[in-house]
Amino acid sequence: MHRIIDLAIPLHRLRLLVVPFIFILTLHGCAGIRSVEVIPPPLPTRPAETIKQNEFFIGKEDDAIGRPAVIRLEKGDTLPDIARHFSLGIHEISLANPGVDIWVPEAGTRIMLPLHFILPDAPRKGIVINLAAMRLFYFKENKKSLTVSTYPVGIGTIERPTPIGQAYVKRKVFRPTWYVPASIAERHREKGDPLPSKVPPGPLNPLGEYALYLSRSSYLIHGTNKPSSIGLKATNGCIRLYPEDIRELYEKTPVNTPVHIISQPYLIGQINGVVYLEVHAPVEEQRVADLRKLFARLKNIEKKTKRKIDWGQVDKTLAEVRGIPVPILELREKIEKGNENIVEVRHPGKLYGSPEMPQLSVEAWYILAAEHRDATDAARMAAIISHQGPPIPARVLAKRDRYRVIAGPFGDMQTAEDTARRLKIDLEVDGILIEPGNNR
Amino acid sequence: MKKSFLVISSLIVFALALAGCATTADLEKVRAQEREINAKADQALQASQDANANALKAAETAARAESALKAAEERAKAAEERAAAAEERANKAEAAFEKSMRK
Repeated sequence: MHRIIDLAIPLHRLRLLVVPFIFILTLHGCAGIRSVEVIPPPLPTRPAETIKQNEFFIGKEDDAIGRPAVIRLEKGDTLPDIARHFSLGIHEISLANPGVDIWVPEAGTRIMLPLHFILPDAPRKGIVINLAAMRLFYFKENKKSLTVSTYPVGIGTIERPTPIGQAYVKRKVFRPTWYVPASIAERHREKGDPLPSKVPPGPLNPLGEYALYLSRSSYLIHGTNKPSSIGLKATNGCIRLYPEDIRELYEKTPVNTPVHIISQPYLIGQINGVVYLEVHAPVEEQRVADLRKLFARLKNIEKKTKRKIDWGQVDKTLAEVRGIPVPILELREKIEKGNENIVEVRHPGKLYGSPEMPQLSVEAWYILAAEHRDATDAARMAAIISHQGPPIPARVLAKRDRYRVIAGPFGDMQTAEDTARRLKIDLEVDGILIEPGNNR
Repeated sequence: MKKSFLVISSLIVFALALAGCATTADLEKVRAQEREINAKADQALQASQDANANALKAAETAARAESALKAAEERAKAAEERAAAAEERANKAEAAFEKSMRK
């Protein structure tokens, strides 16, 4: 039985409440006229894990962490959005799911989340970055246990690769200023996009909010204003992390932490009595040397265990290059069910970091980025534009047999023009400005 | 004379009658045979026409099948070309995206 509450207020008492209320509102409005610096809210934390993806305890004998998982895609998902939500790089998720369209995958498809990693063959101390796997591992010893935090990274391009070797964290900076190197300034000038000599903290700063400066001059581990670049060879040699990942790493990494940068495309690890092989693309010049090392290790395992490796599976794994641990030798007669079991992860309601799509308004400016005959082409283009850094909202509007890619809404003509210029410089898209409906 | 004429006439009539009887039977036989042969001829003709029609049908069917096969091959080729073009467009878009991710 519900209690009925009488909300009627006597009229004279209402007047007594309303007058001071209006007075307070007026004061607040006056205060609002002054310009106030808006401090951006703190970065939201990653939602609760449905599957472990970053932090693991490891025993001395453990060679691998995590477990593989699958997830069913929903309409509108892109692989970069799924990757970011599960702290994976674009390259990792794409490699593990060959044939799945990165930008317009089919809804209902079950894809693999490669959250199972063989640890690189390196001292488990400080930061270890395996360039071949595009993954960073941070080892921290606590009294009796060892924990490892792992994150996907973006690394240097082929022209400007991240250097291999030892270094340490020299200093840490929150909200760093980017001092534009001469070579980058020149390249941007040639593109018709001149850069200032320095870029202050903010959405246009490619270093993001946190930076670990290494002892090796000009090389940093930093955040990014282009989260979709994580898992790509897109930097000038630095190591990039998702904004939420660099914040975690920054908080837990003291100055003087050693940093070991390696490139190990072929990883061998033992988990629950099974030997696994994980294959990434090698650097071409190192391929033969890396393969020799791999075969030597595998022969050694055969010798020690007196068991035959499945060489057919080794060949297949080397050919496929999927970046996921594949079993090649079973050491025990009865294999215990453990981490190698694939778990199905429930699709989250909203993917962390996925681009926001503001509501359309006839009073705003837009850019007609392109018109396609093919709906998939249009959807792909809209997704790519939406994942630029800083993000540019874009969507597809169908008209008869054509599909228009519309970027926006933008509040004013200047913003629309600046964005059109970005589209031209970064994506070679010739956008057409669309004025607001009331011609403001 | 008259008597002889009568006898001869009777004999002739008798003979004719006998011959007529024989002829009718034969005629009937012949007619029956004719009818049978006609029926068989009809059958043969029908069979021949059927065979011709079937042969024609088979030839037409074969021609249609060949035509359909050719059309299917052309459609498959066109689909293959469209898929290749779509893949090229996707690769180009991906390359543009990766370039845009640089500093």
